[in-house]
Amino acid sequence: MIRFDEVSKRYGSGHQALKQVSFELDQGAMAFLTGRSGAGKSTLLKLIMLTERPDQGQIVVGARNILRLSAAQIPFYRRRIGVVFQDHQLLYDRSVFDNVMLPLRIDAYDKHEAARRVRAALDKVGLLNKEKMNPVTLSGGEQQRVGIARAVVNRPQILLADEPTGNLDPELAAEIMLLFEQFNQVGVSMLIASHDLSLITRLRHRILTLDQGVLVKDEMHPSRRDTPSRGADI
Amino acid sequence: MSSSSRPNPSAGKNTPNRKTGAKRERSSRQKLTGWLEQHVEACADALNSLRTQALNTFMSLVVVAIALLLPALVYVAGKNMAQFGDSLQNTNRISFYLEADITADSVQTLQQAMQNHPLIDRVEFVSSQQAAADFTTWSGLGDVISSLGNNPLPASLEVHPNNMLAETALQIRDAFAASQGVEQVVMDTAWIERLESLMRLTDRMVFALILVLSLAVLFIIGNAIRTHIAGRNAEIRVMTLIGATRSFIARPFLYSGALQGMFGAALAWIFLQGLLSVFRGPAHNLLAFYGDQYQFIGMDLVSSLLLVAGGMILGWIGAGLSVSRHLNQY
Repeated sequence: MIRFDEVSKRYGSGHQALKQVSFELDQGAMAFLTGRSGAGKSTLLKLIMLTERPDQGQIVVGARNILRLSAAQIPFYRRRIGVVFQDHQLLYDRSVFDNVMLPLRIDAYDKHEAARRVRAALDKVGLLNKEKMNPVTLSGGEQQRVGIARAVVNRPQILLADEPTGNLDPELAAEIMLLFEQFNQVGVSMLIASHDLSLITRLRHRILTLDQGVLVKDEMHPSRRDTPSRGADI
Repeated sequence: MSSSSRPNPSAGKNTPNRKTGAKRERSSRQKLTGWLEQHVEACADALNSLRTQALNTFMSLVVVAIALLLPALVYVAGKNMAQFGDSLQNTNRISFYLEADITADSVQTLQQAMQNHPLIDRVEFVSSQQAAADFTTWSGLGDVISSLGNNPLPASLEVHPNNMLAETALQIRDAFAASQGVEQVVMDTAWIERLESLMRLTDRMVFALILVLSLAVLFIIGNAIRTHIAGRNAEIRVMTLIGATRSFIARPFLYSGALQGMFGAALAWIFLQGLLSVFRGPAHNLLAFYGDQYQFIGMDLVSSLLLVAGGMILGWIGAGLSVSRHLNQY
């Protein structure tokens, strides 16, 4: 579903964010992307979303070399990818319902069908009773769930999340991860950037580890294999 | 039915694909409805943001209205002046003023000779009494003539050429200027040419004024749109990230520009009607001196619609320029 071939990215400031990163994520797979702050996790996600472009290498998403997409094609490509942000990126001038509606408005859904899908997405994240509220009145965990509902409302094939549990306490963080696993189970490919090792090692998914822009580890189900390289809790 | 239900595992595999494919299979009618709703929403969105910034909106509408009012006012003034031009065009004629002691026979002979000239359409004899009466109605200064006691106006033969060329008038003048009993020949051609160039100058001035003030409208609305864009920075960023096309993001701003132009033009029209109603009274009094020949012309329906449509188009272009400059940063 997602393939990186020797991808490198250097920012204008001279900072080398990614160095020759290669990996492949199968359709329907779920993987975590970890590493310290500045290791290149966000950059990698931005490259998939095409908000940044690599200096070298190829990126293939859904059998398509996305670096060859024209500027006019990029919006339509982005609609196939759901993104969850650490800071939610919700709009506080409108209700929860209208926030989740946004991707469908962009895709020119008629109101009836759109409303049905928005309610289905809100139901999935357990916020159906708060659709009329302004997101600013919700807790951090609830706001993140609104963000997730918005990311999945268009039924994307791929879901990306950048530190989705960064500001949440462990219990809420675990709830969010559980939600992601549920989406994964219905066939959505997931790539989640997180530095919360204690949480993600418990979840028994693939873990890609970045260190200063280099992919240093690619482990399948590390806790199941009980590799001593990473403790269960750090 | 039974054959399709048999391969169970592959059917199960297809389920997620079918789910994601579902949104691509919307009917064309649903797509059209969705597209229309996008436009209605963009328009409603634009109206709403104009309403929430009511004071700013009002200020820029007034400025737009004033910028559009000036050319409209000059246009109306020009149209009223053109009436005089038109009526003078009809009086393209050559006046042969006759000596006071000319006999009726000589007049008859001269008139006959003129009538036979190939370039002359018709000839009218205007007696000195007739001339005095015409002058009285035309100028409204009848008292002056009657106070003189003795009518100073000579009799004349008014020659109407069969075309409007100045050259024709010159040929006719040369043919009959030396005839017996003709004292003086007066042609209106110089006066008409002067008037024509004056009208041309006015046209140019209206055109230049429209051009300059249209630019002003573009800048006023472009600047208002720039502020709107800056105020919706967060929304534009999020929409770009979740796959909004540029035209989707630009649409509410384009509607906003067009609406501001339209409302500005409508306001200009109201201002103009106010000013015209102030002018109408005195103008009627003035024109009454000239009889039914002239009428005070206001804004007709077509001109009014042109004004509003022009404002709308200018607003749309101004917003488009602003959008193409300021959306690039996202």
